[in-house]
Parts: sequence; structure tokens; C-alpha cells
Amino acid sequence: MIDFTLNDKQLQVKEWVHQFAKNVVRPISLQADRDHRIPDDFLQRLHNMRQMMSVGEVPREYGGEGAGATPDKQGKSQKNRFTLIGAEEMAWGDVSVLMSLPGPGLGGPPVEFTGTPEQRDRFFSVFKKPGLHWGAYGLTEPGAGSDVAAIRTSCRKEGKQWVLNGRKCFITNGGRADWVVIFATIDPALGRAGQRTFVVEKGTPGFFCGKIEDKMGLRASETAELVLEDCRVPEENLLGGEAHYDKGSKGGFMAAMKTFDSSRPMVGILGLGIARAAYEYTRDFVKDHYMLGRALPRYTQLAETLAEDKRLIDAGRLLCWRAAWMADEGLPNAKEASMAKAYAAKVAMKVCADAVQVMGAHGLEHGNFVEKWYRDIKVFDIFEGTGQIQRIVISKRILKDPPTFLMSSIHRAVITGASSGIGLGLAQRLAKQGVEVWLAARRIEVLKARGGGDRRCRRQSPRAGARCRRLRPHA
Amino acid sequence: MISFALEEEQTLIQETVRRFAADLRSKQRAHEKSGVDASFRKRYHELGLDLLTVPTELGGQAAPLVTSLIAHEELAFGDPGAAVALGAAQSYIEAVLQLGDAAQQQRLLAPFALTTPPTGAIAFSEAKMSTTDFATSAKKDGNEFVLHGDKSFVLGGAADHLIVFAMLDGVPAAFAVPKSSAVKPGERYGLVGLEAVVTAPVSFENVRIPKENRLCGGDDFAKNVRRFFARIGLTNAARQVGLARSSYEFALAYTQERKAFGKPVAHFQAISFALADMHMDVESARWLLWRAATEIDRDLSTAAEAIVHANEAAFRVADQGVQLLGGAGFVKDYPAEKWLRDTKALALFSPPDEWLQLVTADGELESNLATALPSCALQPFFT
Repeated sequence: MIDFTLNDKQLQVKEWVHQFAKNVVRPISLQADRDHRIPDDFLQRLHNMRQMMSVGEVPREYGGEGAGATPDKQGKSQKNRFTLIGAEEMAWGDVSVLMSLPGPGLGGPPVEFTGTPEQRDRFFSVFKKPGLHWGAYGLTEPGAGSDVAAIRTSCRKEGKQWVLNGRKCFITNGGRADWVVIFATIDPALGRAGQRTFVVEKGTPGFFCGKIEDKMGLRASETAELVLEDCRVPEENLLGGEAHYDKGSKGGFMAAMKTFDSSRPMVGILGLGIARAAYEYTRDFVKDHYMLGRALPRYTQLAETLAEDKRLIDAGRLLCWRAAWMADEGLPNAKEASMAKAYAAKVAMKVCADAVQVMGAHGLEHGNFVEKWYRDIKVFDIFEGTGQIQRIVISKRILKDPPTFLMSSIHRAVITGASSGIGLGLAQRLAKQGVEVWLAARRIEVLKARGGGDRRCRRQSPRAGARCRRLRPHA
Repeated sequence: MISFALEEEQTLIQETVRRFAADLRSKQRAHEKSGVDASFRKRYHELGLDLLTVPTELGGQAAPLVTSLIAHEELAFGDPGAAVALGAAQSYIEAVLQLGDAAQQQRLLAPFALTTPPTGAIAFSEAKMSTTDFATSAKKDGNEFVLHGDKSFVLGGAADHLIVFAMLDGVPAAFAVPKSSAVKPGERYGLVGLEAVVTAPVSFENVRIPKENRLCGGDDFAKNVRRFFARIGLTNAARQVGLARSSYEFALAYTQERKAFGKPVAHFQAISFALADMHMDVESARWLLWRAATEIDRDLSTAAEAIVHANEAAFRVADQGVQLLGGAGFVKDYPAEKWLRDTKALALFSPPDEWLQLVTADGELESNLATALPSCALQPFFT
């Protein structure tokens, strides 16, 4: 049933995380941004409460306890939807805090989806130990970001070990992670088929953390450079085992991509969480500082801007929910995940820019949340695939989308006719087949008026005949 | 719970209407010239599309509003002009459902369940833009009301049955007015889009109607009028989604066939990114409408933003739909130019976006920028 209301359990998560974000996270937000770090004791406190949250989860069978870990009555997963609900509220508080939450992070999905049972057990059990533990996802390199197939970090097998060499950059929590999922290649010439995925554990000889990035936004989140120099990784750490990469399969590449199906809607909703925070902050500022009850509604333009921002946030949220719902239903959602992220990032940037504008000079002050959110939001159109990459993913898929109807027969036929110059012959054939289409009729008229003929057109387009035969009128 | 899953019944309706829409589409240009013919009207009624949301005891299918949205998206995907022309009585039926009591619903809607239903429409807009009040007035005279005034942009011109908004003792009121010699349609407007639809001004010259024909709007007249406008507004916005989808799909197909520099133009990023954005516009508009429709009985507030979003998204998409076809988008050989004209007309079928945005803003700012009723002071609009 079409339904966009939250059920009791979802409301409970939303409300709880919101209160937490408001009363615990928000108060440290500006300080953490200035210090470039979140205090360990604060993270410990978060960690102790993590079962109440539903974000960054460990799968249930490995001790995950979030609300979304349990399937619904029909046995369908609810994880993605719960994650989105919690994540939006946390991002509303402070997104850097959320990104610094101890847990497998983006490294979770590849281990969960590609790892062997033994590997899942080994790497997820880390999070059961006392203390703070992180996982990380090492894909981007100085020379390969959006183009995942172009990574150059190399791996070669030596006995029972793999030897890794290369550099990874912009890795969230990379410096403090207990293990990092590292994507490497046996031979760049093989492209995607040459890619292998490893879990590299902290302390492995030859595995170092380089510099920690100084960034425009998300300053409290750790973004690290990782260096692999003749780093020897045991063969048990090849995700999925050798069998997974059999005969030129794209197992490694797919592991990288699969992560995005659930992480992109999540990143989208994080951006919207920030946008909502900025919007609500501005809205309350306007309420307090403008006299909206005046007889002459002088501030309608301002009101229209705010209404538009609210609408765009709502629209973006539904696209994210759509992608998450599809993931929960087990439907392929790569296109929807990209749409969610691309759209959410675009509108979130607009909303944050509007927020600064509406607040005027206040919006530029250090120590004003709006200024921080304006800096934080930019990266949402960059990481996890830039807005441009999302549009490449979307357009590749929509070009394969089956048309609703007609396109397959009538319009397509006429378009083919019009653009390849089949002309009169096709149009007449369509008409003979009883296809009532104004376009076909119109083309006949036009072509007759022009005195155009079949023969001339066919000369221009030798394949036209073959194409014609494929075209059938709709049932 | 968050679910986008269609019920079996909804899928069935969607598929049925899609087949109907395929036939509508093949006659798009004919509709523009001479309106929608009777066979389509008959089929529309036989499929029960006009009475989709009407309770079963009144001959309808008692479907939720969201089902109606799904059907209207498909209809407009076929032909937006035909979708509006066929759905003209819908506004009348909705008004009776939202503003009439049980007896009035029984009496006024009965003819619409007959094999040959009458036509119905709303007379709301006025050319006079003096205040938020209507210039059309109603006076009580014994057991009758006497209506006098001029209305503009009435769908279908003089329909068999009209709901007329007028001032009664200084407050807005609604009346069911059957066709009579005192109800005089003016000359049909020449429209730039939706040419399949007849709209005309209508004059009421001391029209006498029985007092039972006043629709009191239940407990709260203003609120129920808003609900009425929200419901027909959402239905109309669903047409925008259907229109946008057809423009998008046409551009998608065309740009894959058209070649330049040795490859389909759709493979150039300037084109493919635009297609991706069009797709996002269509989808985001649909989900906002669905949400507003499922929430409308509890919460009216999300309808306004959903309608605005659909209007804006559809215009953007239809505009790109012309652009991506290049010169072919601008000539009448192709339907893209029609969709661009139609979308503008559809956007004027509910209270203007500016007013709707103020409704949203009022909810958020606890301000009072929008008037209680959709105001003809701001802009007249079709109903």
C-alpha cells in the first residue's frame, strides 16, 4: 500500500535520535568544527547508546541491535528505511559526528555482501570488543575517484600473501579504522575484471596513514590519506575468496558498486538533514525577526523562498525513501539511489545558500550554524560520486528503460522515420497496419506535399528497411 | 511504514487506463481541433473513471484519492487536453462530496451514475479583481436563493450542473445551479494550450434556485473548500506528471534515434544529463503528490507544495522536451510543442503557485499571508 507515514517504531527512532541530536550533538557541533575533532569520551558516550540508533549498523547476526535490524512481518528488510530515518536526524544535529560514529561505516556493505561467512564473522566481531572501533572504505586514489575502474593500487600474489602497493586518499575515518576495505588491481589493463577487494588491518606492516586532510567543511570528520608500501596481506583477507573473482568476473568492481546502492540514498538524506537544519534555523530566525502579521504582507517573497526550500527538502526525502524502500524490497535500485543522491545534494546546496542569504550578515559569522552548514553541504555533491557521476549512472540506465507504450511502436516508428529519412514508405505502412496516429498521417501529408519518395529515402538510409520490419503497432 | 507499493487494484486500474490513454494519444491533434468525441466520453464513463473516488452507495468505486492520481497521470500521459475535457465533471462531483450533506450528495450525484451522465463544472473565478470577496451575490428570497453575477474561466462553459461561489450576507457560499435560461455562457476563450477543452465566461442573471441547493460545507466551510481545492488540485497536478512523463519519454526516444557526429545525441552528456534531470523531476513530483494524497484526510498542508512542485517540474520538463528535439521540438509535426503549451494551461487549473506557496509558508511560519479561500484577487484561474 502506498504509505508515507512512519509507523510507531520508526517514529520512536526518529524522536529519540532527534532529541539526542538536539540535546547532545548540536551543543558540541561548532566546537568540534573548530577543533577538527570530536572528543573520544563523547564518541564513547555515543557508542554506548548506539543500539538506540539505527545508523551505521552491524548486521544483526553479528550483534547489530538497531531498530531496523529486524525484518518486518512479511520477512522484508526494513534496514535501509530505518537507517535513513535515524541518519536524517543525526545529520540535523551534526553530520561530522555521525560520520565519526564508531562502527564499520562504508566498509560494512562490502564485507557483508561480498565477504565469506568466516570473514564476516572475523571483521564484524571487532565491534563487539570494548573500546572504539571503526571500519573504513578505501577506494578513491589521487588519480581515480569517479572513475572507479581506473584505480592503480596494485596487488600481486606471493605465496599465501598478497602484496599491495599504492595510495588511497580522502578516506573517512581512515586513520583510526581497525580495518579498511582496499580496492586494488592485479593489472590496470584488465579494467574492472582485474579488481580485487581486500580487508587490510591496522598495524599490517607497510600500511600507513599519511596526512589528515584540512577541509572546507565536515572539519570534525577525519579524512585520511592511506599509503600501502609492499604491504603484505594474508590471502584470507581477500574479500569473498579467490572463487569470487573467477575467470575475469567483475567481483571486485561489483563489491565497490554494491555499496553505493545503500550508501547513496543515505548520503542524500544526510545532505537533506543538514538542509533541514539550515531551513528550520532560518525559518525560526524569520519568525522572530520579521513582523509577518503586518496588514500588508511585505515579506511574501521571503515566505515563498522558505516554502520552496521546504518543498525541495520534502521532494528530495521522498526520492531517498524510494531508493531505500527498493533496497529493502530487494529490487535493483542503482538508478534510484543515484537519483536520490543527485537530487538531494542539489537541493540541499540551494537550501543552505538560501539560509545564508535570508539571515543576511548574520549568516556569514563564524559561530553561526548557518555558516558552518553552508561549508558542510558542498561535499555532498562531491563524495560518494559527484553530481555528474550520478547523472552518468542515471542516464545510462534510463536509456535502457522500456518506454511506457507507443514509443515501442508508433512514435518510435515515426521518430525513426523522421530522423533517418525513411519517410513516406514507413508512414504508409503504419497507416495500412491500422495505426491511427496523427504523426504518421501528418508525415504522409508533408511528404506528399514535398513530393518525397520511398526510393530516395531508402538510398539515404540502407538500414531503414530492416528497421521497418521490427516495428509493430501496439496491441 | 514508507511504502511505494501499488495495491493489486491500483495496478489493474493503471494498466487499464494506460490502454485507454494509448488511444487518446493517437487522437491528440484531432482533440485539439474539435474536442474529445463521444466515444471516448462513453468509454471514460464505462470504466468508472469519473466516479472513482465516489462512495459505492452513490454508484462510485470508493477508491482512495491516490488511485485517482494514478489514473489521471496515465490519462494525461495519453493526452492532457482529453484528460481535462473528460474529467471536467470531476470538480463538480468533488465539490458536492466535500461541501454537500448526505441528502445533497444523494440527489445531486445521482444523474452522474446514469448511463449517459450530464456535464458538471465549477464557477469560481471572476474577472473583477477588487477584493478577496466574490462580486457574484446570492440573496435569500422565501424558499429560494437568487444568484446574480459574472464568472470567468468556467470549464465546459454552460455545463448541465454548476457549483457557483457567491457572497451571501457578506460571507462566501456555494450553490448547486442546474442549467437554465438565466445561466448564460459567453463566448469561448481562445486558449494557447489545452485546446481540447472548452472554457467560457458564464453570466448569472437573477438565477433562482431552491434553498436546498446551498452547499453549507459541513462543520467548516472555508476548511472544506480548501480540502476541495486540494483534492482537485492534486488530481490536476497528477496530469502534470503524466504530461511531463510523456514529454520526457518522447525526448528520450528521439535523442536515441537522432544521430550527430556518428552517435545518437543522447550519448552526449549535455543531452543525457538533461534527460536525467527530467527523470528526477517527474519522479519527485509524483512521490510528493502521492504523499499529499495519502495524507489529505489527516493533513491538508502537504497538498499545496506537491501541486506547486508538479507545476514547476512539468514546465521544466516540457521546456526541455522541446529543447532536446531542437527544431523538431518547435514544429507541429511533433507533439513536444503541444505539451509545453498544455503544461502552462494545466498550471492555471488550480489556485496559482504563488498562493499555494504562501499556504505552505503560513503553515511553517505561523503567519497569515494567504487568504482563507483561494483568492481571485491574486489571479483568476480555471476550475
